[in-house]
Order: sequence, then C-alpha cells, then structure tokens
Amino acid sequence: MTASAPRSLESSIGRLLTIGIYVSVGLIAIGTVLLIGSGRSPLDAAPAFDPARLASDLGSLQPVGFLWLGILGVMATPAARVAAALVGFARSGERQMVLVAATILIVIAIGVVTGTAAS
Amino acid sequence: MEVGLAMLVGGVATGVFGSLLGLGGGVLIVPLLTLAFGLDLREAVGVSLVCVIVTSGASASVYLQRNVANLRLGMLLELFTATGAVVGGAVAFLLDERLLAGLFAALLAYVAVTMLGRARADRADMPVPDDPDDDVAEAIEAEPAEAGATLDRPIAGPTTATDRLSGPGYTVRNLRLGAVGSVFAGIVSALLGVGGGIVKVPVMHLVMGVPLRVSTATSNLMIGITASTSAIVYLIRGGIDPYVAGPTIVGVFLGATLGSRTAHRVDLRLLRFLFVAVLLYTAFEMARRALGIG
Repeated sequence: MTASAPRSLESSIGRLLTIGIYVSVGLIAIGTVLLIGSGRSPLDAAPAFDPARLASDLGSLQPVGFLWLGILGVMATPAARVAAALVGFARSGERQMVLVAATILIVIAIGVVTGTAAS
Repeated sequence: MEVGLAMLVGGVATGVFGSLLGLGGGVLIVPLLTLAFGLDLREAVGVSLVCVIVTSGASASVYLQRNVANLRLGMLLELFTATGAVVGGAVAFLLDERLLAGLFAALLAYVAVTMLGRARADRADMPVPDDPDDDVAEAIEAEPAEAGATLDRPIAGPTTATDRLSGPGYTVRNLRLGAVGSVFAGIVSALLGVGGGIVKVPVMHLVMGVPLRVSTATSNLMIGITASTSAIVYLIRGGIDPYVAGPTIVGVFLGATLGSRTAHRVDLRLLRFLFVAVLLYTAFEMARRALGIG
C-alpha cells in the first residue's frame, strides 16, 4: 500500500469551488422552496440587502434570509478560491503569484468601496 | 406561485440550452428575465451575473481537478478582467438602459452569426480539422498526476514569467494583448451580465497561443472572479433582486447539470439552427427595446 500523493493546489481549489457552489445553491434552493411555498411571487418587491437582518431572517425561516445568504455564498466563493490560492502560492514560495492573488483581492475590495461610495 | 415555477422552468431551459451549446447562460438569462418576465435590464443583468458564477464555478472545479485549466495564467488575467468588471459595474449604472439593450442586441446577433457558422459546417458534414492543441489538452487530462506535480511546485532553474504561465506543450505569448482583451471582457461582462468567455476564449486561443480546451477551461475559471466583482457592485447598488434570483439560479443550476449529462444523446446540428432562430428573434426584440418601440 503506497502513501497517497499530496493533493495538488489545483485539485484543492477545485474542491473548494465545488463545496462553495453546492452549499450556496442548497441555501438558495431552501429559500426558493420557502418563497414559492409561501405563495409570494418573485415579482413582488423584495427586501433590500441588510446584513443586520440576516440572522433574524434565517432564525424565523424567512425565504429572503436563505436567499441572501446563498447569494453571498455564491459571490464569495471565487474570492475564497483566490485567497486559498494565495496561501498555496505562499507555501510554495511563488512570490509573483502571491502578489497577483493579493492584487486581485485588492481590486475586489476597490469594487466594494466604489460601489458603496456610489450608492 | 405560478410565476415562481415559470421562472424555475425558464431557468432550467436556459441551463439546458446553455450547457448543450457551450454558452455560459448570461446570453439567455437576461432576455428571459427582461422579455418574458418584464424585468428592468439592469436587474436582469444583476441576477444573470450570480447565475453565471454558479454555472462557471461548477464546471471550473472539474477542469481544475483534471488539470485542464491553467490556474496561474487564469489568475494573472483575472487581475485585468476584475479591473474591467469594476469599471463596467460603475459605468452600467450611468448608461441609458436603451443603450444597454442595443449593446445586448449586438451581442446576441454576434453569437447567432458565430453559431450559424458552426451549424453550417455541421450540416455540410465538413470534417472538423483536428486541432493539434487538443492533443495537448488530452495529454494533460491523461496524465493528471504528472501535470499536477509539475504545476504544484516552483519550476527549478532560470525561468521567465512567461515560462511559469505556460503549460505542457504550449508557450504563452502576447501577454500585453491578453491583458487588454481581459479588461474588455470584464467590461462586457459587467455591462451585459455575461461571463465574457466570448471575448476571453478567442483572446487566449488565437492571440496568446493557448490550446482551445485549456482556453475554455481557464475562461470558465476566470468567469467566477469577473462576474463576482461586478455582482458585488450590483448588490451594493440594489441591482440584485433575491426573489427573482432564487428560482432562476436553482433552475439554471439544475438545467446545466441535466444538459451536461444528456449532451451526448442530443443532435446538436438541429438544435443549433433552432437556437440561431431564437437568438435572432431575441436580438430583434432587444433592438426594438433599444429603439423605444418594444
């Protein structure tokens, strides 16, 4: 019996993407079932995103809580993949790729800042 | 309830078609939500971006685990697509919606013409020339352990940045042009709610010398960051409706899964002609909206 080879960075990141997407879609599916089951139409006015209300919406099984959490999960998964790659590149001493990964995260942060400033 | 189920079924249909025809889905989701459900174009783009992250993320994970996607090249180009996405996301809220509709109509017409070319080639039963690059991709797929081992450690000896970005059997070239193309892809993605693969794949394959299958896989990987960067801007500015997003995302995810499992049983030649007709009709409707007569 041979020892299993260490998982490649690509393979680890692939698994992270799979888990992130499936868990997020699962949350969105729960929210969708609750939404359709409640008789509400998707064309009704939906509550705006409010991080402060997320926990209470989830606790009271409001569809919007699951929908927002799932949507946030979908949107965060690619950034989590970049962060994981940054750690992997740092461990293998690839400084240029660490810089690239860090800069991508900075660009995403700039998107958050400019979006917030303009809203 | 009927609208929710209709949106779910519509999502499944776009997911199946997108998967069978190799489209990310944005090209179909935006017209579905605007023309069939009467949504504002920007709202449709916001929802479409989240759908595109889901479909591309699911396929990118497979490509990564099979070592077909080039992680390092993808991440370098993501830097530029993300920058384009931030710019496009900001500009999208400044542009007149009719202009956006006009741009979308042009995109649909372009995709229809491209697909018509493929459909004609199929109909004439023209043998598709072997892409020598495919051998490279097959070699990569056939030897995942070796490829992974090579990619997972720094290359020894004096190597250039280009060498590090290249893969087994190919050398990346024209990095600057690739960067410019990637910025453009990011802007298109943020403005129109598509993944931008329609720009990235030709740029990587034709300009940068990356094999077609590696280009497609790497583009899928990049779409996640491109679309999520724009989606964040849309989320903050109230451009994503969770009630519309829910059934659409679930439908697209189910449809894309179904499509990928049935692709080998479907006659794609007929499907392409049918789809070209749908795209041209949708482009016509979008153009009418752009001209204020739709």
